[in-house]
Amino acid sequence: MIEIDGLSKNFGAERAVADVSLRLETGTITAVVGTSGSGKSTLMRMINRLIEPDAGTVRIDGVDTREIPLTELRRSIGYVIQDHGLFPHWSVARNIGAVPALLGWPREEIAARVEELMRLLRLDPERLGPRYPHELSGGQAQRVGVARALAARPRMMLMDEPFGALDPVIRQEARAELVAIQRALGATILIVTHDMAEAMALGDQIAVMDGGRLAQAGTPAEIVLRPATPLVRALIGESERGFRHLALLPVAAALTPGAAEGEALPAGATLADALSRMIWTGARRLPVAAADGHGAGVVALEDILAAGRGAP
Amino acid sequence: MIGSLAASRPDGARLALGLGCLGALALPFVSVRASRIGAPEPRTLVEILPPGRLLAVLALSAAVLLALVLLRAPWARVLLSLLALAGVLAGIGLAAGPLAAEAGPYARVAPGAGAWTLLALLALFFTEAASRLALGPAARLGLGLVILAGLAALLASDLLAPLSIMVEYRNRAASFRSEAAQHLLLAGGSFAAAMVVGVPLGLLAARRARLAPPLLGALTAIQTVPSMAMFGLMILPLGWLAAHAPPAAALGIRGIGAAPALLALFLYALLPIVGHTREGLRGVPGAILESADAMGLDARQRLWRVEIPLALPVLLTGARIVLVQNIGLATVGALIGAGGFGVFVFQGLGQTAADLVLLGALPPVALAMLAALLMDALIACVPGPAR
Repeated sequence: MIEIDGLSKNFGAERAVADVSLRLETGTITAVVGTSGSGKSTLMRMINRLIEPDAGTVRIDGVDTREIPLTELRRSIGYVIQDHGLFPHWSVARNIGAVPALLGWPREEIAARVEELMRLLRLDPERLGPRYPHELSGGQAQRVGVARALAARPRMMLMDEPFGALDPVIRQEARAELVAIQRALGATILIVTHDMAEAMALGDQIAVMDGGRLAQAGTPAEIVLRPATPLVRALIGESERGFRHLALLPVAAALTPGAAEGEALPAGATLADALSRMIWTGARRLPVAAADGHGAGVVALEDILAAGRGAP
Repeated sequence: MIGSLAASRPDGARLALGLGCLGALALPFVSVRASRIGAPEPRTLVEILPPGRLLAVLALSAAVLLALVLLRAPWARVLLSLLALAGVLAGIGLAAGPLAAEAGPYARVAPGAGAWTLLALLALFFTEAASRLALGPAARLGLGLVILAGLAALLASDLLAPLSIMVEYRNRAASFRSEAAQHLLLAGGSFAAAMVVGVPLGLLAARRARLAPPLLGALTAIQTVPSMAMFGLMILPLGWLAAHAPPAAALGIRGIGAAPALLALFLYALLPIVGHTREGLRGVPGAILESADAMGLDARQRLWRVEIPLALPVLLTGARIVLVQNIGLATVGALIGAGGFGVFVFQGLGQTAADLVLLGALPPVALAMLAALLMDALIACVPGPAR
């Protein structure tokens, strides 16, 4: 668990972060959202002390980060940035194995870890391992950046707009991949983004920054249903609010017994998927498949709309 | 392959070079002097060669020049231009032998205006063709070494022995070797010292933004001092040091000699090294430095594993400039008794013996070219994206 407590930072007369407190539960993803200049990147960089706070503390599992030697702290936290920051004069394999090498792992162990991570991130170790970063595509370089951050099995990952340089299709894939990896490894992740849709798609918790202050922190549903300030409302996008909420809810949330005509929705679909299907087919009731493939029930339009409003 | 060898529409520049070579054949090929400081008497090919052989030489020359103009494959032109250069050098030697023997024991034979023009134009043919090959630095170094080996073989044979410059060399073989060593010591020593001092200074200038302008300004001011004046200026402070500090004098530091020359070359070398080191370090992208910090590299690891390797191509470019510059400038060191190839240059100037001047001037040119090729190959060895 990461506890951020009263963190503040000024750059000269300019207030970058003002008295921010936030809790990151172990094994969850927290998405910090805000416009540029909102202090979200500064907040992230104070966790691994790339920027030293003027006031406040960060505790990792109860230990104040100021009590941990700087290099040791940073080596224990994975770090991914938009420009991936891969070392251009090192091969892909050496880039990925950089932190384990700093930690003095035996050579065979590093090689095994690098290969394991490359396979996890769908990078061919034989083909891409000896290459240099400038020989990679944008998506590959981004995955190498993630692999490098994961190499020393960090308890925590900091990511600043990690998918910002990717095209939309690859970005979707990379997000899904990140969630899958996070669920598999149980890492605690803080991801900084200016994109509320990305925050909604990734975050267990969303923290909205505004002018250096924390405007609101909560689950995606809380943020959508009860935006605390006009800025939060604006970031969600008033016209998309209802859809954003429905996209967070599984079809199970509005499931009723019964049967209906048409192709069944998969069990993992969201209510936004169901509503979209209704818009295009004109149906007001859709069958839903259970995980085993048999009919589990139906979703009705009125139930979807009620769920979207947050009504019980 | 056949197609690439085939003739094509003649390239304008090469045609001009070819016509220039043809014209040069009519100029005096060698010059003969009754003594080493006598007035040169020019001799054209027509005067040197019997009619039959003249015709053969002219026919061969015309054929080679036609091929150099028309051949499309650059590698073929590279090969042919090198052979032609070797041929002209051999021709100079072959012409010089009988002429020297016939003109008496003190006579000297040197290449004439025509021979020099031919060599220069053929060298242009070579560089034009070689640049079309677009060779990598390693291949360029390899080619350079092959040419150097060929030149060494030519010099080692007796073919060029009758030439005046070779006579000058034979008369000074022992001192040529010691001055060569001294030249390398001056250029190499000042280069090494400037690297040891300049790289940390460049690092400091990159780290401390406020320090950079005055430091680079001072080094630029040094760079603008003419070399003759600089070598002269060094005499005063070092002379004073030698007179007032016995330990310095014991180390061989005097107002004249190697010490002031080394100091002058060192001072000239600082600006390129400091400037390039700073630029190289400043060119390392911020995202990479941030990554290095965030991954837990400490300051020293960041410097040695990330910043210096990434600055290395730019830094080595500065080193290349300095090495070439120092090999040339070290020649001036002879002016204040530092030795080196400049000794022959200044002796030659004093005696109006042009071939002695050449004996001192040509080796540094060859050395500087070799140093440039070596440094290029070294720079190409640095891993990472091509810069």
